[in-house]
Amino acid sequence: MSTFMQLTINGAGSGAVFALLALGFVIIYRASGAVNFAHGSLVLVAGYITVRAQESMGITVAAILGVLGAGVLAVIIERVLVARTRGGDPIALVLLTIGVDVVIVEEVARRLGSSAPFVRVPWANEVIHVGQITVLKGQIVALCFGLVIIAVLFALFRFTGWGLAMRAQAEHREAAALMGVRNTQVTAAAWLIAGVLAGIAVLFLATPDFAGGGVSRATHSLVLVAFPAAIIGGLDSTNGAVIGGFIVGLTGAYSQQYVSFEFARVAVYLVMLAVLVVRPSGLFGTKEVQRV
Amino acid sequence: MALALPLYVSEVWLRVFEYAMVGAVAAIGLTLLSGHCGQLSLGTPFFMLVGGTAYAALAADAEAGSDLVGIGLPPVIAIVGAVVVSSLAGLAFAPVAGRVSGIYLAVATLSLVFLGLYLGQRFTEFTGGAATGRPAPPFTIFGFSLTTREPELTVLGVPFGAQERMWYLFLILVIGGIFLALGAVRSRPGRSWRAVRDNPASAAAMGVNVARARATAFAVSAGYAGLAGVMMVLWFGLLKADENEFQGSWSIAAAISLLAIVIIGGLGSVWGAVLGAAFVFGLPLALRLLVPSVPLLASITEGSGGFTPSVITAFAYGSLIVLVVIFEPGGLAAIGRRITARFGR
Amino acid sequence: MKPTSDGTTAAESTYVPELHVRNVTVRFGGLAALTDVSFTVKPGTIHALIGPNGAGKSTCFNVVSGLYPVDEGDVRFGPSDLMSTAPHQRVSLGIGRAFQNTALSGHVTVLDNVMLGRHALTRGGFLLAGLRSPRMRKEQQLHLDRVVEICEFLGLGDHLQRPVGQLSYGDQKRVDVARALATEPKLLMLDEPAAGMNDAETSVMAQLISDIRSSLGISVLLVEHDMSLVMSIADHVTVLDFGRGIADGTPSQIRTSPEVIRAYLGGGEGPAVLQEELS
Repeated sequence: MSTFMQLTINGAGSGAVFALLALGFVIIYRASGAVNFAHGSLVLVAGYITVRAQESMGITVAAILGVLGAGVLAVIIERVLVARTRGGDPIALVLLTIGVDVVIVEEVARRLGSSAPFVRVPWANEVIHVGQITVLKGQIVALCFGLVIIAVLFALFRFTGWGLAMRAQAEHREAAALMGVRNTQVTAAAWLIAGVLAGIAVLFLATPDFAGGGVSRATHSLVLVAFPAAIIGGLDSTNGAVIGGFIVGLTGAYSQQYVSFEFARVAVYLVMLAVLVVRPSGLFGTKEVQRV
Repeated sequence: MALALPLYVSEVWLRVFEYAMVGAVAAIGLTLLSGHCGQLSLGTPFFMLVGGTAYAALAADAEAGSDLVGIGLPPVIAIVGAVVVSSLAGLAFAPVAGRVSGIYLAVATLSLVFLGLYLGQRFTEFTGGAATGRPAPPFTIFGFSLTTREPELTVLGVPFGAQERMWYLFLILVIGGIFLALGAVRSRPGRSWRAVRDNPASAAAMGVNVARARATAFAVSAGYAGLAGVMMVLWFGLLKADENEFQGSWSIAAAISLLAIVIIGGLGSVWGAVLGAAFVFGLPLALRLLVPSVPLLASITEGSGGFTPSVITAFAYGSLIVLVVIFEPGGLAAIGRRITARFGR
Repeated sequence: MKPTSDGTTAAESTYVPELHVRNVTVRFGGLAALTDVSFTVKPGTIHALIGPNGAGKSTCFNVVSGLYPVDEGDVRFGPSDLMSTAPHQRVSLGIGRAFQNTALSGHVTVLDNVMLGRHALTRGGFLLAGLRSPRMRKEQQLHLDRVVEICEFLGLGDHLQRPVGQLSYGDQKRVDVARALATEPKLLMLDEPAAGMNDAETSVMAQLISDIRSSLGISVLLVEHDMSLVMSIADHVTVLDFGRGIADGTPSQIRTSPEVIRAYLGGGEGPAVLQEELS
């Protein structure tokens, strides 16, 4: 039982981080109709900035710089490239972000060479004992921090003009696109927030507690695990993204323990496939309505 | 010209072209799926792994004291078997491939890459594992090997070794692949795919079973991938599972480079896929060969910047994807059409 | 144009089944798009569905072609229960349709778009098509001939090799009709065939529809806003309002139906126009 509790807490911790990434996917999807395959490179760039800056400026300043860097990069991608894609065809946008991702990842990987530096967060490599169970401090911090950010985000969605505009735009995207009306500020803000979330996520992903190693290509492919989170929940559902994130985190943690470490990576994807077979638009996603 | 190429070009350059042909075959399948049926897939490397593994297991002889599975079929039958097995694997994905559309499928097929990584390392009796791999059974037909230098052969004073022979084998496979694809694209199956891509509801109203059309296109592209997988294994002379998901023959990087071929060539264009493959698969190998003779290139690739030929290629095709999507959605094929139209007049 | 006689269709009989729509209710979420709608399309007639915007005409169409699920009631086509027939199988029963916003492939040629209509009448998957078997090529040629005949009948003979996206809107509507006809339907369903057309184009379309019926002997089910077109060619009219059938009869009966007049006046949708059309 204590193993199970331990797994649940660890799984929830990584689940919160995946939820941040999945929320990024959903926010961008709702704003631009694009599945952002360049999300991994946002994470990587934030991580790179952080590890480069942390020696001289300390982790706090470095982390802030990294988070802002990812946000700014996301806005640049949106303004310079995504917004210019003719017709906003979703497939073209996917391909575009894949191209962007290839270039950015290759550049960061080239700069890193063979090194994979960790983000030096103060809570790394520490454990907490609660009764019989032992959990990584990093996972607890991830869980608490993640939940706070998710709460802030949902407040933003609900109570700000931007959140309202976002919802309107997502719901009437077709009409908005037809009339050539797309609020550029709303869209840019969406990318900024998604980038910031990616930047925050890397502060947990590229630590010793997260099994992924330091900032490297592996960090980038770890982000790919957030894809299933977004898909399981439904690409256009913010609630779904959070739930999807936790499903992914817990699935990973349980299958690592009860099956094998190697299987855990696949397990997440198998869950996604199972969900897709039953509900092709995810658990909470809007069903695509055929217009004729 | 293609037929006589081995008489003029050295072995090392033949290998570059052969590798590009591997990419071409996989990309032809992918361009049918993505360009005509509108279904994006990142699962191509998985089916390549399936095809390559099936070929190795079917064609290899069972050896005493070895754990490796070997059925000992004639290589020609093993190739056909490998294509059939990978198509069936593609068909088995129908519950997802038939129901899930466009971008959802792109993410769903990501799972296949991870599945391939897992299965490849888990079932070492088939794949040889990630550490050592297993040798590729040579391709022989009527006792004449097309992938090794046995028996010896000299044509017009040029010794016909493994690479010269493999050139012809690959040429036949690529031409066969192009022939089938063009025939299908121009008739009933191609029409139904395009209808599904442009408007699934109206396709259904015209009698097209949408789920089945999508599943078929997926299975066809899996079959092409399977053939490309066989070619990949023959080209390396080795079948080896990947060590991780982000680099290797069956990795996400491979999936993305295949998608790059298709985009750069022009979504849906069979000839564009061939051209794109020459660029994306051929360039890193070509650069490597050019380094010794081009001092500027040598100073870049061997400098401290880490600009290896594969990094340069990735930069090139990554930015080309972006440029193509924004400025020329028809890709190389559209550019080619425009040039021929200009000169045709 | 003659009914096909070159052996390209499996069911060559001239039998045209009746379409029965019986007590059909369709709900989207909590909203009822159709409530207890019934009508019958008699063999060989031109049957029009009219009503104000949002009355459920297009929903009705999508029910018959199987794009929307039915919550209550049933739809039969002759002996076949459409409720248990998948959308793509309805073509083989003889139901062909054109769409309100021409659902064609814009980059693809007219000929290729219309050839899609032959899908259910032909066979051959990837391998057969890829290998270009002589039998398949011969079969394809036969179908191509018929498709060219249909296109010429609709006045598209000059545009066969042009991408549909380059044609005028009126021509695109005709391509859509040609594609529906290419399925060799017993019931041709046309969703606003004259939408967006000027008067001249509309009267050409009206003539075409009545030519199709008289030369092929098939039924036509029509949704149309243009009252002059409806009143001039329809044998029978069903009027929908707020998802309910409010009148059913010949054009002359409809003209004098108090419910219909009330619905149009009450709906505020161009009462003057309707008065003019009805009188």
